[in-house]
Amino acid sequence: MKTIIYRSILVLIALGLGTGIFVLLTFAGDKTKGPLENIFSSVNTNIASFEKSMTGTREKRSQSLLWFDNYRKNKLFFNSPDSFFVGAYDDQMVESYESVVALEDSLKIKFPIISFYTAWGSKRQQVFPMLRAQAIYDLGSVPMITWEPWLDDFDAAHVGNTINAENKNKGGMRAVAQGKYDVYIDKWAADAAKFQHPFFLRFGHEMNDPYRYPWGPQNNEPQDYIDAWQHVRSRFSNAGATNAIWIWSPHPAYETYPQFYPGHENVDWIGVTALNYGTVATWSQWWSLEDIIQKSYDSLSLYKKPMMLTEYGSLSVGGDRAIWFQEGLSSLPQKYPAVKSVVFFHTNSDNTTTYKALDWSFKNDEKTKQAIIASFRSWMR
Amino acid sequence: MKTNQTNLWSFRKAAPVTRSKKFLLSILIVAGCLSMLHLAEWWFREDHVASVPLFLLLSFIFWWGMIRMIILWISYLGIRVPEKKEAPPGLSVAIFTTSSPGEPLSMFEKTLAACARITYPHTTYLLDDTQDPRFKEAAVKNGAVWLEIVGFPGAKAGKINEALKSTTEDFILVLDPDHIPFPNFLDEVLGYFENEKVGYVQVAQAYYNQYRSFTAKGAAEQTYSFYGPTQIGMHGYNCSVAIGANCTFRRTALESIGGHGIGLAEDLITAIRIHSEGWKSIYAPVVVSRGLVPEDLGSFFKQQLKWARGVHEVLFAELPRLWSKLSFWQKLSYLTIGTYYFSGVTIMLFLLIPFLFLWFGMLPANMDFIQFVLNWLPIAIVGITIYLYVQQWLCHPQNERGLHWRGMFLKFACWPIFFKGFLLSVRNADIPYIPTAKQAVKGFTPFIRPLMIHQLLFIATLFFVVIERRYFTHEAKIALTSGDIWGMVAFACIAFIMTFGGMYAAIESRKIKEEEPWEKIDLELINKKHRKSVRKNYKKMSYNL
Repeated sequence: MKTIIYRSILVLIALGLGTGIFVLLTFAGDKTKGPLENIFSSVNTNIASFEKSMTGTREKRSQSLLWFDNYRKNKLFFNSPDSFFVGAYDDQMVESYESVVALEDSLKIKFPIISFYTAWGSKRQQVFPMLRAQAIYDLGSVPMITWEPWLDDFDAAHVGNTINAENKNKGGMRAVAQGKYDVYIDKWAADAAKFQHPFFLRFGHEMNDPYRYPWGPQNNEPQDYIDAWQHVRSRFSNAGATNAIWIWSPHPAYETYPQFYPGHENVDWIGVTALNYGTVATWSQWWSLEDIIQKSYDSLSLYKKPMMLTEYGSLSVGGDRAIWFQEGLSSLPQKYPAVKSVVFFHTNSDNTTTYKALDWSFKNDEKTKQAIIASFRSWMR
Repeated sequence: MKTNQTNLWSFRKAAPVTRSKKFLLSILIVAGCLSMLHLAEWWFREDHVASVPLFLLLSFIFWWGMIRMIILWISYLGIRVPEKKEAPPGLSVAIFTTSSPGEPLSMFEKTLAACARITYPHTTYLLDDTQDPRFKEAAVKNGAVWLEIVGFPGAKAGKINEALKSTTEDFILVLDPDHIPFPNFLDEVLGYFENEKVGYVQVAQAYYNQYRSFTAKGAAEQTYSFYGPTQIGMHGYNCSVAIGANCTFRRTALESIGGHGIGLAEDLITAIRIHSEGWKSIYAPVVVSRGLVPEDLGSFFKQQLKWARGVHEVLFAELPRLWSKLSFWQKLSYLTIGTYYFSGVTIMLFLLIPFLFLWFGMLPANMDFIQFVLNWLPIAIVGITIYLYVQQWLCHPQNERGLHWRGMFLKFACWPIFFKGFLLSVRNADIPYIPTAKQAVKGFTPFIRPLMIHQLLFIATLFFVVIERRYFTHEAKIALTSGDIWGMVAFACIAFIMTFGGMYAAIESRKIKEEEPWEKIDLELINKKHRKSVRKNYKKMSYNL
């Protein structure tokens, strides 16, 4: 019996010490993750910039966007623009922006803005998208990043145990305002500061839509959203990320938006979603651009901020899409002078709203493309 | 590391296993297993899967290696050096050594002379089918019995089985003719047969010509750990194997399985059959002889192909047949050894992965290379620590310690051989005729060709990638793909560097001067060293009295 106890104790001690070594190594690994990763990523950056210099003699897209350089190098010009910026989002651009380039070529312009979406969370692709932002900048454009606070994407280890793990979204904006996600926000902001160049940051968009995103009014009081906005923005200032251009972007269909406005000094641009769902769902019908944004424009333009149609597009079900674009675009500068930018929503598999994927893309719709080109020409006259 | 030549000719044995050392070892192994779990938890995450079939394949080939490592660690947990038993006087012992046409006579003269100097009374038999009268002379001159055994299938094993019929000794040491035994060989092994259950006693296999070339050094390095901690650990679970050379058998054990097994891995076949009959095995980690390791790459490859083919035979033919008669540890041990050469397949698939990506854009896993390295690092650290820690149980640590990088390079170079061995076994085909080293001296061994093809493929791919990205990749794509592409190129580059060892060995093998290494060996020196150590032991004993 004695030997059994003795041996069991030995086994237990071995297990304990072995676990100890493992924990030490893992802990050391976690600690060194910073510098090691930095070395690796700086190697990566150097290779990328070496490649950039290697391809230096080739024709560059940025050459045709030289006029835009003044704007993108100076935030002041940006926030009181005397020009008009067209942009696009295309879902085929995880590994390459070729699809965006193809789209703009077919519309005979160059997009100064390239838009994409990224979510909050603990996964490695949920950090500041340095590579993608830099690639857009190298192409001569400016990134517009829609930054979505999906709070249930966080591991407990990342944000600590102070947050209600059951439903992180309930009162989530309050938690953000209270600083419970500061570790994540600060890292993101610090990386954004390292990017150095101006970029549009569309944080917590469509916050007034109670049916869509978890940061909406079904989970949060309007004041909590405002507090969260101000808190995040102040973390950015602390981190020196003054290169972010803040787009506050409510949904035009819910007229509660003034309740969510974070204040004149905290907002740089105002964004409006302008999507025509046609007759694809029971709640929708064929609405013109005017139907969609007129009311909200009248109200939001009072804030005296440059405005952007942050998601601009139409499905082809229930009406003539070419006419929809032509009508909307050609009169845009006269009817809505505060709107200084439109960003095409050009994705062929949008499944955020309906149970089946919607196709917003018009790259194969020659008529629509011609209508858009004609509208752009009409601006020049 | 310079090998002191005279240093090789003393008797060596592995250090005893103390409780505290084993305790420390088990701590390391626990840490290793936890690191493994940690990596597994990270590896098998859903968002890592890029393509289900390719991810499964990648997981299989990666975890194949990891699981083998765990099995090895578990075998270290059983590490137990058997206690030396004095050989009782009066046993009847035979030494069998076999000669075949083409083998150098001078080697036999040396080996037979060394056999004559083995102190325990025994009879040496030369099992000869050279039909060359000089071999008979050499046997008679050295007091050995000459048995002419011509025309039996199964090379060595066939002759042994014939000789068993015409001899009566209870214990038979099967000695490879290139091995020079030390005077105390039989004294070290015979004591273990006191236990009636012991069927065979295997000793360490050591070499004396590893200084001759990169190939020889690398080939020797590959065996050090196996004949040290690995076999000692297997001994602890009663599943140590007879492998290589110089196994001493109990005649009744051999008779119980109908004689020595025949095949390309005849020792292993014999071992598994003896185990299946319920006999115990002893592994004695002692250096009581030294032999030759292949010096040129062609011979090494040939040897490896034979083993790969032979060991698969144990896996496919013997293991399923004897499965129910083996203990759990014996099953695990033969399964692990039997699948060793399957690494030819896994390494080849591993090599393919970067090329599949760079040429066709096929990606098995969405893993960040850096994340992988960071998650894998604990295993690497613990693994190397365990590898170095168990080296205290090498048979001759002063000579054999190290990271054994030559062995690793050489093993990598063997993947085409292992792969071929595997294919031949699946097809149940014989290994093809391969010209011997002497005939191949002027050219590269043909088995280096897959490595050269691999090198060319890598260089061509590198050119392809550079040209493609310099002139053709769209500027809207180049920055976004830079990390992935060059990460994969770096991954492919590791494998490319691994081919250098094999290439160097192949080039060096063309220039090796032929030499008969046994000519230089002074048996008198071995005897002197032996007498000295006996005297020392004797003195020690009298002090104790």
